[in-house]
Amino acid sequence: MTSQDDLGRDRDILETHETDVFAAFEGDVPVGTRTPSALSSRVRHAGPAIVAFVLVIVVWETLTTVFNVQAFVLPRPSVIVERFFATAGVIWGAGWNTLIEAVGGLVAGIALGVIVALATVRWVRVREGLMPFAIAANAVPIIALAPITNAWFSITSPVSKMAVVAVVVFFPVMINTARGLIEVEEEELELLRSYAATPREVMRRVRIPHALPYFFSALKVVSALSIIAAIVAEYFGGPQDVLGQYIIAKANLFVYPDAWAAILVASIMGIALYALVLIAERLIMPWHVSFRAADES
Amino acid sequence: MTDFVVHAQDVGKVFGAGGGRVEALRGIDVSIGPGEFVSLIGPSGCGKSTLLRLIGDLLSPTEGSLTVNGKPPSQARNDRDYGMVFQKATLLDWRTVQKNVELPLEIMDVDGRAVRAGEMLDLVQLGDFAGHYPWQLSGGMQQRVAIARALAFRPSLLLMDEPFGALDEMTRELMQQEVLRIWAETGTTVVFVTHSIPEAVFLSTRVVVMSARPGRIVDVIETGLSHPRNEDTRESQAYYDKITEVREVLRHEDKP
Repeated sequence: MTSQDDLGRDRDILETHETDVFAAFEGDVPVGTRTPSALSSRVRHAGPAIVAFVLVIVVWETLTTVFNVQAFVLPRPSVIVERFFATAGVIWGAGWNTLIEAVGGLVAGIALGVIVALATVRWVRVREGLMPFAIAANAVPIIALAPITNAWFSITSPVSKMAVVAVVVFFPVMINTARGLIEVEEEELELLRSYAATPREVMRRVRIPHALPYFFSALKVVSALSIIAAIVAEYFGGPQDVLGQYIIAKANLFVYPDAWAAILVASIMGIALYALVLIAERLIMPWHVSFRAADES
Repeated sequence: MTDFVVHAQDVGKVFGAGGGRVEALRGIDVSIGPGEFVSLIGPSGCGKSTLLRLIGDLLSPTEGSLTVNGKPPSQARNDRDYGMVFQKATLLDWRTVQKNVELPLEIMDVDGRAVRAGEMLDLVQLGDFAGHYPWQLSGGMQQRVAIARALAFRPSLLLMDEPFGALDEMTRELMQQEVLRIWAETGTTVVFVTHSIPEAVFLSTRVVVMSARPGRIVDVIETGLSHPRNEDTRESQAYYDKITEVREVLRHEDKP
């Protein structure tokens, strides 16, 4: 009850769907039903992005060749790709180790973020005590903690890198999920109250489903962030067979195309994690508003 | 006394204290019998929604005594005596129409949910839309789902807070017809908040006319229109006369 009282609500009637006057007399035709052209429309939407990507690569290749740009400044894409295949065994091996750190930290950070978010909703005092600090902490460059976690968890252990990733992941997940759990419409809470629903039921039937889109938007951010955090943490030292150390070593030896090939591996892993989140999102909340626009057009 | 579904004696509601003190309702006496359809009407700020929320135990009175089915409202709420419909349909986006209607049944752990929800959707003539999501429906259809959901667990009292306020005029008239049909079929007692005089007169057995600052009841008008009510009712002299009567009470009260 306390949580619903302190939140102002938008009761704007304009948001509700306007009914077509004539449709009303013809038996209320539903608006926005799914069209069969959903897939082809998605392909159409992807078209400009593919063109842009190809264009960037072509311009990059042409300019670096024409102006004879040095490899340490910017290698040609064709050289990067060539090194990517030539060193595949080494960079994917290093990539795998980095991925384990990233995913380990990701899982820990998400779990912790969700648990704390649930607690902030269940106990208003926890929220009042914690939220200001959480929001402040989110603005701190947490990545700077890396040398310290190296000291805490032993520099050779992947746990020291996972810890950095977990801390980086924790705050966006916690803040977003808590927002989704709290910012439920007043009427929905009144409705559940009229059913004499227990707080547990309110959590299960309304708050958690309502928080899912917020949770997933946080996951989209942190999935890519986890790879970044893991690599930056690796820059501060530790085992050599990881992407961060490999990139540093190659850069120190002026073998920039090899460093870029490793960055390509990191990018692919980041995109793969992001794609996994998108797929999970589709499976878990197929009803969500963000999927409608593409389906309707 | 226990024969009344709603029985309010000298009920008052004050929000806040000191400088921010607002007296929303004062000296409310009203009794609503089983099977009645009672509208609360008045200018904004007259406390008609507040009164509905007091009856539904979403707020507590600060003065007087209020019983629902002879019980305190909190007890009535725990006994699941209320079905509620708001101005917004308040359907859960992530549930299909069918699952939205099943929501109260799930919470109340009722058996045979799917069958019951199906019956309710048939009642509001949306049986074909059980598998749709709320956003695929028009505003009027969404509100019909909300009504089906409110009636799914057969509450003795249906509380409606400006349920058609966001709908266009044509849909609104269709919905009024629907609600009267459902009311006749189920025999549920209805308390209906509106700021539309024709709507109040068309729907109700009695119209409770309220006035603002502080919110109080100024008159209770029996509509006396015969049932079933339909398009002919809307064009009848008796209907116009009642609208005029309610309007004159409201206008008289509006003067300082």
